[in-house]
Amino acid sequence: MTGPAPSSTTTVAANPSTPLRLVTRRFLRHRLALVSAGILAVLALASLLAPLVENGLGLDANTVNLFNRFAPPSVDHPLGTDEAGRDVLLRLLYGGQVSLFVGIAAALTAAVLGTAIGLTSGYFGGRIDALFMRVTDGVIALPLLPLLIVLAALDLEKLGFAPETAQAESASLYRIVVIVALVGWTTVARLVRATALSLRERPFVLAARAQGASSLRIMTVHILPNLASPIIVATTLSVGNVILLESVLSFLGLGIQPPLPSWGNLLTNAQELIWDAPALAVYPGLAIFVTVIAFNFVGDGLQDALDPRSLERGNR
Amino acid sequence: MRQAGPVLTTIALAALLLFPATAPADAAADKPGRDQLTIGITQYPSTFHPNIDSMVAKSYILGFTRRPFTVFDQSWQLVCMLCTKLPTIENGLAVPETTPSGKKGIAVTYTIRPDAVWGDGTPITTKDVQFTWRMGRHGKTGILPIEFYRSAYKLDARDDKTFTLHFDKLTFDYNAINSFSLIPAHVDEVNFDADPANYKNKTAFDTQTTNEALYFGPYLITETKRGSYVVLERNPKWWGKPGAFKRIVVKVIPNTAALEANLLSGSIDMISGELGFTVDQALRFEKRHGRKFRILYKPGLIYEHIDLNQDNPLLKNRDIRHALIYAIDREAISKQLFGGRQPVADSSVNPLDWVHADDVPKYKYSPKKALELIVKAGYTKLVQGVRHHKDTGEPLRFEFMTTAGSKVRELVQQVLQSQWKAVGIDARIRNEPARVYFGQTVTQRKFTAMAMYAWLSAPESVPRTSLHSAHIPTEANGWAGQNYTGFKNAEMDELIERIEVELDKPKRKELWKRLQEIYVTELPVIPLYFRAEPYIMPKWLTGVKPTGHQYSTSLWVENWGVK
Amino acid sequence: MLRYLCERLVQSAAVLAVMSFVIFVLIGLMPGDPVDLMISADPDLTSADIEKLREIYGLDRPVVERYGNWLLAALHGDFGFSRLFAQPVFDVLLPALGHTLTLLGISLTLALVIGLPLGIWAAVRPYSVRDYSVNLFAFAGISMPSFWLGLLLIILFAVILGWFPAGGLGTPGKDGWADKLIYLVLPATSLTLASVGGHTRYMRASMLETLRQDYIRTARAKGLSERRVVLGHALRNALIPVTTIIALDFGFLFSGALITETIFAYPGMGKLTFDAVMGNDFNLALVCLLLATLVTLAGNILADLAYSWLDPRIGFEGKKL
Repeated sequence: MTGPAPSSTTTVAANPSTPLRLVTRRFLRHRLALVSAGILAVLALASLLAPLVENGLGLDANTVNLFNRFAPPSVDHPLGTDEAGRDVLLRLLYGGQVSLFVGIAAALTAAVLGTAIGLTSGYFGGRIDALFMRVTDGVIALPLLPLLIVLAALDLEKLGFAPETAQAESASLYRIVVIVALVGWTTVARLVRATALSLRERPFVLAARAQGASSLRIMTVHILPNLASPIIVATTLSVGNVILLESVLSFLGLGIQPPLPSWGNLLTNAQELIWDAPALAVYPGLAIFVTVIAFNFVGDGLQDALDPRSLERGNR
Repeated sequence: MRQAGPVLTTIALAALLLFPATAPADAAADKPGRDQLTIGITQYPSTFHPNIDSMVAKSYILGFTRRPFTVFDQSWQLVCMLCTKLPTIENGLAVPETTPSGKKGIAVTYTIRPDAVWGDGTPITTKDVQFTWRMGRHGKTGILPIEFYRSAYKLDARDDKTFTLHFDKLTFDYNAINSFSLIPAHVDEVNFDADPANYKNKTAFDTQTTNEALYFGPYLITETKRGSYVVLERNPKWWGKPGAFKRIVVKVIPNTAALEANLLSGSIDMISGELGFTVDQALRFEKRHGRKFRILYKPGLIYEHIDLNQDNPLLKNRDIRHALIYAIDREAISKQLFGGRQPVADSSVNPLDWVHADDVPKYKYSPKKALELIVKAGYTKLVQGVRHHKDTGEPLRFEFMTTAGSKVRELVQQVLQSQWKAVGIDARIRNEPARVYFGQTVTQRKFTAMAMYAWLSAPESVPRTSLHSAHIPTEANGWAGQNYTGFKNAEMDELIERIEVELDKPKRKELWKRLQEIYVTELPVIPLYFRAEPYIMPKWLTGVKPTGHQYSTSLWVENWGVK
Repeated sequence: MLRYLCERLVQSAAVLAVMSFVIFVLIGLMPGDPVDLMISADPDLTSADIEKLREIYGLDRPVVERYGNWLLAALHGDFGFSRLFAQPVFDVLLPALGHTLTLLGISLTLALVIGLPLGIWAAVRPYSVRDYSVNLFAFAGISMPSFWLGLLLIILFAVILGWFPAGGLGTPGKDGWADKLIYLVLPATSLTLASVGGHTRYMRASMLETLRQDYIRTARAKGLSERRVVLGHALRNALIPVTTIIALDFGFLFSGALITETIFAYPGMGKLTFDAVMGNDFNLALVCLLLATLVTLAGNILADLAYSWLDPRIGFEGKKL
């Protein structure tokens, strides 16, 4: 049995509910993905609720207490305190906010950038395509390390940002998002380009062109919907990778800067504490591990759900 | 299709993997017949040439293999190592004179130890001295320290072993030639004369690092693996007491968490204080393994402080600078974070330094005083916990920078931020990789308010470059100088100039006292504490005596022994 | 085919040339040149000294001129000296390259030897417990920050169990491959665990895809054993996209071992590149980074070739990759 051809945009456009329901049903059958999505939802929700928890505990995530370092779990501090006497639970929740935000924002930005470039390249082909693909090659080969250092030294005020923004402690967060997006769009671009290249000769595109539709319209209305599934899958998978990358950058001292917590810098800070306060290392380590695994499973589930041919799976 | 249970299993598994970590195991029990000592450090030296680039890892390793003419010992006294007698004006070996250009100068005479020979048996003579001096004076080689060779304008070789250096200035430290590192003429002169400009790439120190003729210490470098280890073996030609170990291996492990694991697994015997643990890591280590290892802390001449940029409009106000220091509890930081091992600094002068003055103003933690000063300066309006100026509405906000990735500094920084917040001062942390921070931000005075870092110095070093107004880096002077705060004080300038040329010790101490008074009252810098270097050693190792200054313990390796 | 290859080679050379300039400028843009670093180390330097030092290190010229000089010398095979190590660039680089190739060779082989069969094994029974377990194992390996994984391995196998050395290249004074191999166990395990998951996943996906093809149905219909169908018919075709992806990963592998090298004190290309960039060792950093670029580009070409060879529908002429 073969599923509907990937080019059936007409059905997608005419009756969006049926395929969506189909996809949902297929996704729900993927238990691991389902569990993962659940875990992610809980983590995200908990992170977003950090301010509430903060109020509830009557604590402040950044207030240091030198006389209460490495405290064991208690009613006041459900997970104990860290090397500066701050509440570990709050640090973890706020760290989750940062890590998840960086992961999702960077992956999305990269996906948008990659889609735009890949689509243009694949649709127009020829010289534009050749140029874009060489640029892609270049970016893939671009060394991350000097780029990070140069960007860390960029004076945001000179670039026209208000001093308020430039001096904000979250500036390091946006730097990371921008950097990852700048170097990370190539995967999506290649994926999109390859599909667009084959789609542009399909009858439905040719028909639209014959009717005098503009290139922009053809690209966005006719081609883009057919690209949705690979883009969604690739983006989901890359969220996990960005979270991992952030932790590695923290290890090198190039990641999110304190006092802003991220799972990456919490874990990096805890590596020397592994003998004395292993919990400080276990929590962020586990958070990263579980989150990345979960994003992978969700991506996996989405792939199966969005790929019509996987309808087969029930038959075997 | 089955239930997706394995997620939980994985979590349990991961936890299992992590938790055994709580039960430390101690490897490296006693080994019989210790003829080898393995030392762990965190950095591999780049070049091995003593006069190109200065680097702690290099000084540490070269300390085993070479000796300076003069050096500060563990009690911070200047002593002779390669010379026979420390020249002084009193013993007649140093004679003040007038230079040809009419300046006050001095001629200092040194005699090389008669038994001093290079590792290949060639005697160390004034030929080597002349060669090294000629190389340093050449000017196109990048040989350091430039200032020394500029000032030592003339060299007379009296005979094979005795020479006189003529300096074009007369300073109290006229007889200290600690950084005058001899290069063997019989090995490297050909390399230098062939192409002086390219000498730095052709020197035998880097092309044949294991050449015994380059060294004259108790040990010779016999094997190097770049980035991994350096093997040192006893120098049969060494004239002093032979080292206790046949071989010393210096192993490089860049990551400190891994360094600790290496020590516990027995692949290294000790961790040097020069390039090893931070104090808080050592304190935690001591709690767990204090019975198996000997841990020495020596607070010394590493002065952690915060530079306050004097061009910042807020920081121009002395009351604000005082408020900043009153608002922080340095005593608690020293006690709670460093177990009291890193004493609070009252000024830039270490209490162990003989010129330290105790009767200068000190700042005890007092948020009340801080608030009074803030109010006095007009910052009375409180908006969201931050004090604002009553007229201009300007917030009391500072950018607070340090090196990214340096954990202890980042921790202290967050503690300070929290303490300042308590009195309504908003310190915004913005850190940069060391590369950017020291390559540009600090050195070109690009930090807008506060920059935390440390100075490493020798005993009684005059803070000319960091406090004299002529040493403020500017674009015009090519960013030379280290007065990064931009501190300008006429009396300070004068004091510095007078201290340098004051040969009378009691008089000099008076001047130093005044200098410290100005330093703490004007407060261009917030003194934090003197950093300690923890030495983690096995119980059986004896004789390692930390110096507390920039000269390595390895210079006294012949005193190390096995119990 | 040959024409296409030539075209790609020329294009890649052009990319490489452009990249060399980009990297040169990028390093030049990094704050703090070697002399700046010296100034912060030696307080007594005067502005005249600084000028002289800039001249000695050739930093007084504009970037474009310096790049021109570098390129000219490089084309004559002279890549200059490493500033940090005061040695010709390749003398510094080659040992590190050797270490990296050894480590990567071992871990890549292991990852393939474990990952590919595991992927096939999972693909044969998709959505079974076996498949789920393999997936979980695969994802677990790639979901741990590499420094964390490395540290855990050291603590478990070096400190607690004491089976392997915690890090380094070999025992000083001891020669022979047996000693070196012992030191390679932990870093290679760490890298293998981090990459085996990817290979497993690629192999599984590719095999699943292939098993759906018509000719496999035909083979099955002919009554061939499942073993013969999978290993005899499907494997060859399923391997090609996997090869492609592995080739594409080359460049990443090459520089991606930095963390593992740092944790295990293993002086390879990753750490050397990092130190060169951080220490502002212009010549060395440039060559290290260009080498990584070269490997990536070569991987790309290999990937394209493998892909085109597999899929005859994509002709060399029509495909302007």
